[in-house]
Amino acid sequence: MSDPSAQSTERRTFLGVLLGGIGAVIAGAFSWPLFRYLSPIDKGGEQQQVRVPRRQVAVGGTHFFSYQGRPAVLLQPKAGEFVALSAVCTHLGCIVKWVEESQEFLCPCHGGRFSTAGQVLGGPPPSPLATYVVSVDGDEILIG
Amino acid sequence: MKLQKEAMNWLDSRLGIRELLHSNLTGYLLPRNVNVWYTLGSVLLALFGLQFLTGILLLIYYVPDTEKAFASVTAIMNQVPYGWLIRYLHVVGSNLIMVFILLHMFSVLFMGSYKRPRELTWLSGFGLFNMGLIFCLTGYLLPWSQLSFWATTVATDAAGAIPVVGDTLLEYLRGGASVGDATLGRFFALHVMGLPMAFLGLVGFHLFCVRRAGISSAPFGEDYRPTELSNSFHHQKHPGGVPFHPNYTIKDLAMIFFALALLVAITFYAPWLFIPLDALTPADPFSTPAHIKPEWYFLWAYQSLKIFPSALLGLAAQGAAMGFLAMLPFLDRGPERRPGKRPIFVTLYLLGILLTVGLSIWGHYS
Repeated sequence: MSDPSAQSTERRTFLGVLLGGIGAVIAGAFSWPLFRYLSPIDKGGEQQQVRVPRRQVAVGGTHFFSYQGRPAVLLQPKAGEFVALSAVCTHLGCIVKWVEESQEFLCPCHGGRFSTAGQVLGGPPPSPLATYVVSVDGDEILIG
Repeated sequence: MKLQKEAMNWLDSRLGIRELLHSNLTGYLLPRNVNVWYTLGSVLLALFGLQFLTGILLLIYYVPDTEKAFASVTAIMNQVPYGWLIRYLHVVGSNLIMVFILLHMFSVLFMGSYKRPRELTWLSGFGLFNMGLIFCLTGYLLPWSQLSFWATTVATDAAGAIPVVGDTLLEYLRGGASVGDATLGRFFALHVMGLPMAFLGLVGFHLFCVRRAGISSAPFGEDYRPTELSNSFHHQKHPGGVPFHPNYTIKDLAMIFFALALLVAITFYAPWLFIPLDALTPADPFSTPAHIKPEWYFLWAYQSLKIFPSALLGLAAQGAAMGFLAMLPFLDRGPERRPGKRPIFVTLYLLGILLTVGLSIWGHYS
């Protein structure tokens, strides 16, 4: 004859494991919809190009816009020459601003400086600003 | 296991957690004849918890603006991954809560558990029932559909029948002469912030009353005897009863899972039960849809307003009925709780349920 209390403990452990397992499966099944619900919605904008009318960017001037969900800047350092850069400082993610007098970008947070090509001129930024492909299509500038 | 024991020892030495758990779980004895009706409070707590969770999730995408609300709800349903699931759970959950609140109230009434010394438990529970209704009313407007707009217009319009202050009250409720931006703003604030905070406080008080007065025995069986009432405080104990944990918690869990299964089944197979066609069209303040009806739990009130010759009389009758229910423990003061020995009460109880159901069916088909 087996010990009844031992049998009872085994049954309790078995039921505990069974219930725990079922609970884990149910929790898993509902975690996936929750994770997907909270995930950023893909609006299909990652591959899209952005068109900016040429007249919006003066020679020696800039135009800020959103590219792939992030701030970007288009500038015309010389007549007919266009450069598109990420406007996000590579130091801590602040948005750079254009200083027309010195023809360079300045990050107002910690004084990082970038050239018109996005290269670091001074301050704490560890790397240059990201550049984007630019082409001219009639009266519009095509980015991306 | 060793780590668990050490964590327990650490907590115990600081908060006396073992004594607390023992006195509230394993050492807290309930009557041996607790039945399935005693689990409805826990079911409601679980369902309300789910409403809080799904409500917070809906807030991520919902925009409380008359120009954008309908589009944001449509986006939740059609674009956000599993948004339909979260919204349906919230909508169906709110209706199931009303079902379980009513069942909870019916069982408390039938077993006479509202009687002294549990008057405050009943009053706070009755307050929670009303709060549940206001939750539903305010939430109904948020999708800004034709159904939302016109159901809210009709529901708030009744307040205008109150003499002297009616018009002012109506404008105050809506934030203007008719349902519009201001109504959405105040209903939204009430639904997501004001009501939840007040609700949590009242639930806390309700549970405090339940725990402090002690669980009442089910008034069935040969051993049951009405409790002797005393003027001083007395916590009702049940020597020789069953422990709250695991006996009662298992029963609670079983019923909670039953309710969740019901919720999921309706959510997957029949969510349209609670989402009529008018809920799929954006609100148009210049076009009232035909046969606009309130939700099923307001149908009795809707129909009673129609059968009285004036809206004021209808409102007065509703107020009297609700007031009578709220004050019941102070009117019905005898210690007897066995339904078999309370024929007048049981007759009124059944007639009341029949009248409510009859009015609702009438309201639905009228």
